[in-house]
Amino acid sequence: MSGSSRRDFLKIALAGAAGATFAPGAGRAAGKTVTFLHESSFIKTFDEYMQNTLAPAYEKATGVKVVYELTSVGSLPTRISTIAETGSGADVTMIFLLYPFLFADKLMDVGDIAEDIGKQQGGWYDAAKEAGIVNGKWKAIPHSNIGQLMNWRTDWFAEVGVKKFPETWEELYEVGKKLKAKDHPFGFELGHGFGDNHGWLYPLLWSYGGREVEADGKTVVIDSDETARAVDFARKFFKDTMLDDVLGWTDVSNNKAWMAEQISCTNNAESILWFAKRDFPEIGKVTDQAQNPAGPKGRFHLLNCIGHSIFNFSPEKEETHKFLRWLMDEKQLGGWYASADSYYQPFLHAYDNAPMWQVEPRNIPYRDAMASAHLPGWPAPPNRQLAEVVAKYVTVDMFAKACAGAATKDVIKSAEAQLKEIYRAV
Amino acid sequence: MSIRSDPLIGVVRPPHRAASLALWLDRESVFSWLMMTLPLLFLAAFVGYPFVYGILLSLQDRPVAQPGHFVGLKNFIADYHDPIFWRVAINTFVYTAVATLLKMVGGLGLALAMNQHFRMKNLVRAVLLLPFIVPTVLSTVAWMWMLDPAFSVVNRILIGLGWPRPGPSWLGNPILAMCSIIVINTWRGLPFYGITLLAGLQTVPPELYEAATIDGASGWQRFRYVTLPLLQPIILIVTLFSVIFTFADFQLVYVLTHGGPQNATQLFATYAFDIGMGAGQLGLGASVALTMLPALALLIVALTLYLRKQ
Amino acid sequence: MAQGMVPGMVTGHGWLERTLRVWLPVGCFLVLALFPFYWMAITSIKPNAELYNKNLMPLLVRNPTLKHYVDLLTETSFLLWTWNTMLVAVVSTAISLVLGTMLAYPLARMRFAGAGLIAMTVAAVYLVPQPLLFLPLADVINRLDLGNTLTSVILTYPTMLVPFCAWLLLGYFKTVPKELEEAARIDGAGRLQTMRQIFLPLCIPGFISAGIFAFTLSQNEFLYALIFLTKSSVRTVPVGVIAELIRGDVFYWGQLMAGALLGSIPVALIYSFFVEHYVAGLTSGSVKG
Repeated sequence: MSGSSRRDFLKIALAGAAGATFAPGAGRAAGKTVTFLHESSFIKTFDEYMQNTLAPAYEKATGVKVVYELTSVGSLPTRISTIAETGSGADVTMIFLLYPFLFADKLMDVGDIAEDIGKQQGGWYDAAKEAGIVNGKWKAIPHSNIGQLMNWRTDWFAEVGVKKFPETWEELYEVGKKLKAKDHPFGFELGHGFGDNHGWLYPLLWSYGGREVEADGKTVVIDSDETARAVDFARKFFKDTMLDDVLGWTDVSNNKAWMAEQISCTNNAESILWFAKRDFPEIGKVTDQAQNPAGPKGRFHLLNCIGHSIFNFSPEKEETHKFLRWLMDEKQLGGWYASADSYYQPFLHAYDNAPMWQVEPRNIPYRDAMASAHLPGWPAPPNRQLAEVVAKYVTVDMFAKACAGAATKDVIKSAEAQLKEIYRAV
Repeated sequence: MSIRSDPLIGVVRPPHRAASLALWLDRESVFSWLMMTLPLLFLAAFVGYPFVYGILLSLQDRPVAQPGHFVGLKNFIADYHDPIFWRVAINTFVYTAVATLLKMVGGLGLALAMNQHFRMKNLVRAVLLLPFIVPTVLSTVAWMWMLDPAFSVVNRILIGLGWPRPGPSWLGNPILAMCSIIVINTWRGLPFYGITLLAGLQTVPPELYEAATIDGASGWQRFRYVTLPLLQPIILIVTLFSVIFTFADFQLVYVLTHGGPQNATQLFATYAFDIGMGAGQLGLGASVALTMLPALALLIVALTLYLRKQ
Repeated sequence: MAQGMVPGMVTGHGWLERTLRVWLPVGCFLVLALFPFYWMAITSIKPNAELYNKNLMPLLVRNPTLKHYVDLLTETSFLLWTWNTMLVAVVSTAISLVLGTMLAYPLARMRFAGAGLIAMTVAAVYLVPQPLLFLPLADVINRLDLGNTLTSVILTYPTMLVPFCAWLLLGYFKTVPKELEEAARIDGAGRLQTMRQIFLPLCIPGFISAGIFAFTLSQNEFLYALIFLTKSSVRTVPVGVIAELIRGDVFYWGQLMAGALLGSIPVALIYSFFVEHYVAGLTSGSVKG
């Protein structure tokens, strides 16, 4: 055989031998099942609880197999896009942030489940309704919040005489100045990550009374005294308390800096504490968590709601609906939450005093923060314009540019121009 | 053939037809077109069709998972008014131009240095290719650590020389961040440039050098008037490839800075991705990606003209 | 010139001159190219406690450990990803070489109407950027129901490899002397036969050089793999490592660096074996092409 036909033969042989990874449709599970798409959890036991306890239990009770498909962190939006575009691939999926709104047309109305569960388990937090209701209909059943809160070094704060985490941004600023002088600066992300920048910048803006767009979804109001005050604060906060490098940080940077003992305070989810306890117990002992400080107009937090939605094109709509109702029932839900300690903060008031909060009491601020949590871009309604604003880092860069030295007037004007351009079609 | 062929037609015809089929297939044009059919079909299906689709997308308002509707040039007009778009354009051109220049000069230097005989030359040649071989995302993760002021060796040296702590912020300062991605790109691509130019150097006939030396040419003159002109075709090809790849670079920025600080390192590819996959605006994302095409074509034409003139 | 001498050979000079002309520049490049690898190697054997310690000299390791390598190989699907990557790279390269040859041979050897147009089209295809194609290609792949299969990338990688292979092979083919083929044709061989039995075997160096480049590009590809491969079992190394050794905002640096080394050093060794042919292939193909 000549070179090229030898190559052809090899190709065919390989294709035949490894048909499972090559054949069309091989990417999906076959048979009468409910495919449950989920992002791989930060806490392994959470996924294991579903795989080893819940799924088999459901199959035993109803005969319907539950396939728990895990996709890696960060690839869920891509996967959901693909499924929504092609109309197949999963029946029920985890969903978060603004995605219930972007994909609303392809998601089933699950209001009946939501009402039921709400009644059964103490009622929903308002934040849950903000995240799950699209145009008056429940398109996702909220499952939990993954909060972004203040992480602080109790030992270093104690060195400057602070035993309790400061109540307001100004107080935090004063502490930061002292700590920077002692070579323990703060480190709040101002780069192009996703969670750790929005986690403090939007709450900062809101706590000074600033907002991008009004609740009508049309009027751009970012150019205001309130915004200017927030920007001015951010600038001095950066200059006097932080490392320069934060301007280029992504989400991983503050975790790294914490373990390297470079910073004394940052905004993060529970991952810093979790990782410190596991690999750096000495640092873990002196790490504590607290709600965001308050500004003149209140205290706010970023809402990062994980929920579950059913695709309305699913061939197993009825079965999936039953499954989701079963899953969210208190008999199942409580155990599932507990398997991850308090990493996932439930949106149902029935869990406000659940035993799991006592496993790691330092996580309790995450529970309390939910009462003041909002989606990025609030109070504007979540829609495509908002998604574009967030994807283009309009607000993050407004603050970042000011911190890097630009005039407050200029950065606000430039953000306003961008917002006006994006909201022009509305 | 003689006139006798007519009565023999009934007997001769089948092999005659098979022979004429074979002859027909062997004609240059027929053979060529038949041979090229499969690859052309492949390219048409997997490049042509998506390309046309991409153009159509860019003319539509197409949110993800929703039907699109035609809006003409609205996306392009939105890009025109988008200050980030212009920042991205400038970034991509600067990034491509500087990195390519550095790679060209550095690659030439590497080739000249390697064009001498010494032991372990083959091993050195293979080892020098490592930056090119290692998956970009992984080497970028290593660079992330090396550029952290707290861990950077350069910062330690600078601080030792008197620079105020903690030293330059390689990824936080917009200009330094752009320098950083240029450096990493150069580091990654220079070995390939170098090894390729080395191949070219090794085909230069030694007689030409001898003749030039006899004529009294110095080392530099030999390089300028013998080596460079002969290397020109290779330089052109490698540069074209390099420009195309660098212009469309995605991984490096996606992993290192995701476009920050404040869009100082945002490139066409990463911006299009953010808009398409992050905001779910497939039409707008396609319009950003499509603008790469005329820009790239312009660069290539300019480059080709310039190098041909030399 | 004296017998046994080769142009450029540094001889008859003292070791000092040799150092300056050869080892200093080569050494410089080696240091610059390999420094990050030294960093990767050191990081991959540093325990976390040392790794994050900003007071220690980062270039040294005190208590080396193989834990990161062990974790990488046992707790992640790294071996599976490597297998996937190699498989995809080999098959994509093979497809690209075949299709590239089918384009390049007629353009190099035949005269026919439309040759110029085809040549330009192939070059133009190369200009179409991946970031533009990935959205429509995602749609094509989804419609063929190939999402999350290796076939998706095996079919899409050649889109960036075929034009390059065609271009390179074209240049190389042009340098092969025509006499042998002409002799075969005079003997009555058909064009296909001539091509397969006479011509192609002469072009092995060209195939090797194009193949090596295609292989590298393929195993390094990230964007399409990111979009099409979201299940761990079908991921390739670049995407698998980034997606799974980065959980949320925690990087497993040691394992990432171990992955980087394990993913590149074997390939480099293979290259050192082929590099002779690689250089020869490029030389004939490009300078005259």
